[in-house]
Amino acid sequence: MFLDTRPKVPVHVTQTDETFPCAHDESLLQGMLRLGRKGIPVGCVNGGCGVCKVHILEGQTHPLGPVSRAHVSAEEETQGFTLACRVAPVTAIRLEVTGKFEKPFRKGFAATANA
Amino acid sequence: MGIMRIGHASLRVMDMAAALKHYEKVLGMKKTMEDKHGNVYLKCWDEWDKFSVILTPSDQAGLNHVAYKVEKDSDLDELKKKVEAYGIKTAMLEEGTLPSMGRMLQFNLPSGHEMRLYAMKEYVGTEVGIDNPDPWPDNITGAGAHWLDHCLLMCELNPETGINKVAENTKFMTDVLDFFLTEQVVVGPNGAIQAATWMARTTTPHDIAFVGGPRMGLHHIAFFLDSWNDILKSADVMAKTKTRIDVAPTRHGITRGETIYFFDPSGNRNETFAGLGYLAQRDRPVTTWDESHLGSGIFYHTGDLVPSFTEVYT
Repeated sequence: MFLDTRPKVPVHVTQTDETFPCAHDESLLQGMLRLGRKGIPVGCVNGGCGVCKVHILEGQTHPLGPVSRAHVSAEEETQGFTLACRVAPVTAIRLEVTGKFEKPFRKGFAATANA
Repeated sequence: MGIMRIGHASLRVMDMAAALKHYEKVLGMKKTMEDKHGNVYLKCWDEWDKFSVILTPSDQAGLNHVAYKVEKDSDLDELKKKVEAYGIKTAMLEEGTLPSMGRMLQFNLPSGHEMRLYAMKEYVGTEVGIDNPDPWPDNITGAGAHWLDHCLLMCELNPETGINKVAENTKFMTDVLDFFLTEQVVVGPNGAIQAATWMARTTTPHDIAFVGGPRMGLHHIAFFLDSWNDILKSADVMAKTKTRIDVAPTRHGITRGETIYFFDPSGNRNETFAGLGYLAQRDRPVTTWDESHLGSGIFYHTGDLVPSFTEVYT
């Protein structure tokens, strides 16, 4: 992997038990995409389609842009639900994927997630 | 004559400044108007009517309505009768409901999408004018899209419950609005389920398309470019502007379109699309794609379906 000296924090995806490093100035989804890793479903990467919906179980994030209310209600937002493309990590993150591409986490996917 | 072509799409956006920057700097559109509600109106350089995209501030993405232009004002009265005779309610929105526009016939397609038909929109002219025009203007920015070309609407399709809004829309568009079918995807035993259709009023392979999915929504709006080289340049523009590309330049089997897909800053999918494809005519036999060739129909080169393309929409 090419040298990237930016400070990073680990982001842990519970379903796949995978962890990837993410910089403080990129979204959780961009951090995953930049490394060619998988685990969180990737859609529009602009807060509109909702497939990268996650539940932040531990850690702090800061917002990067608006999140579609069609996919994350105000109440859900207070409970830690957001879109991975719209938040950057402040601290280490542990999250659960709740977006629509749940099928990749069915039996068999986890083994190939690092491929 | 009835419907001529797509007239405009009204999109919901979550960050107006970012959306405006996208449609201006990436597509190369120009803002022509803003109304008192904060809606922003834009047009492409080669379009002569005042706008083809309306951006509406919202807390979510998606399509408000799509509008098609008819040739004569009296077409609106005739089509109103035909749509209502088909069993679909309509409303005639009075002149000025949208700025710079005449009256609009409003109704929902069987899929639930709002469609509006109109005969009058303020004429402002293309960037090159009509007197001894140059082929293109000097002030083109971004991809330099010529015009809004078509839209693809996602329609509810659930074979288990027998719901097929693709087939319902296709029948309505054929019987009432006098579109003709150019291509279709059929799936299931004996290809009994019409899962996607491409339909035309002009001589291009599609002025509207319908694809089946779990819920209704907007798959994309598409803008016309001249050539494959323009597609490459538009991809370069997207790289320069950090625009999220969904599908890098490729060709569709369906429509033969040369294409690139990307997302606006609210996640609404855009396409820049080049080439005639073929001359669409009412007597041209319908092209049919079956389930086993669906991948090639969508992405002709790889034949691989891309989840973000087939399963993500607003």
